[in-house]
Amino acid sequence: MNCLHKLAGGASMALLLGGCASLSGDGGFGAAAGVSEQRTGLSASVAGRLPRNDDDARALAAVIDKKLGQPLAVDEAVHVALLNNQGLQASYWSLGIAEADLVQAGRLQNPVFDFKRSHGGGELSIERTLTFNLLSLITAPLAGRIEGRRYEQTKLLVSNEALKVAADTRRAWVEAVAANQSAEYAVQVEESAQASAELADRMRKAGNWSAMDVAREQAYHAQTVADVSAARKTAVAAREKLTRLMGLSGAQTAYKLPDHLPELPAAPQELGDIEQIAVNERLDIQAAKLDTAHTASTLGLTKTTRFINVLDLGVVGESEGPINRRGYELSLEIPLFDWGSTRVARAEATYMQSVNLLAQAAVNARSEARESYADYRASYELARHYRDQVVPLRKKLADETLLRYNGMLMSVFELLADAREQSTAVNGYIGALKDYWTAQANLEAALGGRLSGHLPTTKGVTP
Amino acid sequence: MTTRRSFLSGAALIGAGMVTKAGAASLPEAPVQSSAATAPPLVPPNGRPYNPVVTLNGWTLPWRMKDGVKEFHLVAEPVVRELAPGMTANLWGYNGQSPGPTIEVVEGDRVRIFVTNKLPEHTSVHWHGQLLPNGMDGVTGLTQPGIQPGKTFVYEFVARHAGTFMYHPHADEMAQMAMGMMGFWITHPKDPKQHAVDRDFVFLLSAYDIEPGSYTPKINTMLDFNLWTFNSRAFPGIDPMVVRKNDRVRIRAGNLTMTNHPIHLHGHTFEVTGTDGGWVRPSARWPEVTTDVAVGQMRAIEFIADAPGDWAFHCHKSHHTMNAMGHDVPTMIGVDHTGVAEKINKLVPGYMVMGDKGGSMGDMQMPLPENTLPMMSGEGPFGGLEMGGMFTTVKVREGLARNDYKDPGWYKHPKGTVAYEWTGEVPPAPRAPGAPPSKPVEAMNVKRDAKHHH
Repeated sequence: MNCLHKLAGGASMALLLGGCASLSGDGGFGAAAGVSEQRTGLSASVAGRLPRNDDDARALAAVIDKKLGQPLAVDEAVHVALLNNQGLQASYWSLGIAEADLVQAGRLQNPVFDFKRSHGGGELSIERTLTFNLLSLITAPLAGRIEGRRYEQTKLLVSNEALKVAADTRRAWVEAVAANQSAEYAVQVEESAQASAELADRMRKAGNWSAMDVAREQAYHAQTVADVSAARKTAVAAREKLTRLMGLSGAQTAYKLPDHLPELPAAPQELGDIEQIAVNERLDIQAAKLDTAHTASTLGLTKTTRFINVLDLGVVGESEGPINRRGYELSLEIPLFDWGSTRVARAEATYMQSVNLLAQAAVNARSEARESYADYRASYELARHYRDQVVPLRKKLADETLLRYNGMLMSVFELLADAREQSTAVNGYIGALKDYWTAQANLEAALGGRLSGHLPTTKGVTP
Repeated sequence: MTTRRSFLSGAALIGAGMVTKAGAASLPEAPVQSSAATAPPLVPPNGRPYNPVVTLNGWTLPWRMKDGVKEFHLVAEPVVRELAPGMTANLWGYNGQSPGPTIEVVEGDRVRIFVTNKLPEHTSVHWHGQLLPNGMDGVTGLTQPGIQPGKTFVYEFVARHAGTFMYHPHADEMAQMAMGMMGFWITHPKDPKQHAVDRDFVFLLSAYDIEPGSYTPKINTMLDFNLWTFNSRAFPGIDPMVVRKNDRVRIRAGNLTMTNHPIHLHGHTFEVTGTDGGWVRPSARWPEVTTDVAVGQMRAIEFIADAPGDWAFHCHKSHHTMNAMGHDVPTMIGVDHTGVAEKINKLVPGYMVMGDKGGSMGDMQMPLPENTLPMMSGEGPFGGLEMGGMFTTVKVREGLARNDYKDPGWYKHPKGTVAYEWTGEVPPAPRAPGAPPSKPVEAMNVKRDAKHHH
């Protein structure tokens, strides 16, 4: 914007200004995509830009179809969402809008040419006015700075949106895989109950059991059938949520998910000052900081321009009949009644509002960081307890039960009942594992980046 | 097998030969038995002569003579008893084993028994069937205070009448007897020729409830025991009773379980010749092949072993010839497992169908919980014996030496004396005269005549 200062004035300036700021050509997408890529480890585009034409769309579809060709790992699902979530695409385009505003701010407003022709009373009056917004010339550097900040802020908010979609997708994936796994275990329980019921029926046919014994087994089996239906309902809902986040439709919805959640890692992440990390890394905090800076600038601008409301420099050419008159027109607001104090007060209030919003955002971020880290660690401990204690002990019980069946100390019905108990324990582990992976995604969201291995150590965007 | 050790250490303890003036200051040795095998009969080294007994999977307690008194030393203590190869039990017993050693004395002997308590609680000994001074009867609270842990009590009385007896605590007896506190007592007649037999076997019937995988009996069990034993041994851990053909054999059993046991001998008839009350007059003896030994009773049976062979000898309650088994396992006989078995196998790898053709699992060798015995096991010359618990054999052989109790192996049947498979033509089943010619067999359809209610 420095070029503005070099201008001496006059209408010709507009031509020079035109070359000073220009559109990036990708609507600012590249910049935002860079941030989200750094944070998620996954690119948000196929062609390096948002899909604009059929070729782009085909390339995108090809990439997505390739990913959907095999069981979809969590990172793959996140990648598909970043590429294909239409809501996210819409926010990417809002970057284009912000960029256009920025470029616009860097340019002088086009001069306005008014032409007025009137005739009455036998007199023809033609009035031509060429006006040019001088204020914008004066305020252009400030406006440029403001729009620059707004653009940066939008970039952060869009990147943050991408991170949110990534986190949502991660959670939805965990949910969907776990729901599938649980449904599978419900089927196992049902199968064992079915075997019991069937055997009970045959016991009855052989004359060894009463109708009551059979009814008891069959009632249990009927309940497990209901449980399978409920588990399948949950699985469908979880899968559809994931489908929506990935923006899939048609044949693409037939994607496959892995059979199991990833195993629990050997150890949970040890993080130092999580509150500091959150405040430093979270894009929404950075955006709020920018907002505050932005309102501060606006306040400064308002103070500067409190007396100048409109300063129009007009080149006047007036034809009145055969006489041509030339001249210019200048209007200056005289601060007789309004010294601009209300505007300043408003701007100050807006600034203070922004400062408080930033402070609250920081408080929230710190609290969320603490909460999600505690939850993450607790979820890890719980899942580990299931993996190392509950499940092995259940397995031990199953082994011992089989030994007792071998020795004719226990019946096949007890063996089957134990198989069901074992399934329940494994299902408990799935639940705990699901909670762990969800907690991990929550923690990442609360801290503003990926946990796996490392969080970004430098700030993604300098406000 | 019998090891001698002094259970107390220190110079105050001296051997049998070194008797001080204050004789009571010295205790006889307390020998300890570490093996559950049948010890050879103990020929009396001193005192009145008698024909010693053979304690099945047990032993007889040595004594010392002191001033004409037979002195024994019993030590009540926790022991580990092998119930059968593959299973040990944490029991309470005497001198290293449960049941404790058999005490053999002769009618008229003055007997002094030192009882040292190494259990964690007080105990006492009741001399079941003895006629003795009331204060020597061993009922805590009633005739004496309990013998506290670490204390030694002395019982002294005259063995007044010959017969078959036992000893057991009468202190916290529900726990102590369930833990295996018991032993046999024989009072031989003064005249060794009286009631003389060639072989005289003794054992106690006892029962334990030991959960498979554990070692200590559940002492609160009242009736649902899972291990039925002769002298705290379960088949195939019970030794055979080896006898010479035409020997006169006596078997004496005492019942310290909580139910009766109809004891049955194959191949011979016997007579019940003694109870805890004494000898049965010959005119009152019944010929039997099974005699019921009620709870708290002793029975002596006698027979001439005139039939060579390996003859089964067992309690006739069929669950008592089984080892640990589930009593709540439903009957699977006749239940078609087609299809279901595969389903179960998918859920429980390692599952095998059992019991659909009966309870027999003699051929199955499947892993079991630790420290338990297969419900039925034991291999005979013709295959699986499918027995456990209170089961053993009386092996009658020709030409054994008088004191030879060694297992002679399986009986070699003379040609033509073993049941065999008929391989000839099977004639049609005989039919009643006038019956219609053979038709396919149909299920019987019983219809009651409404007029003929009984």
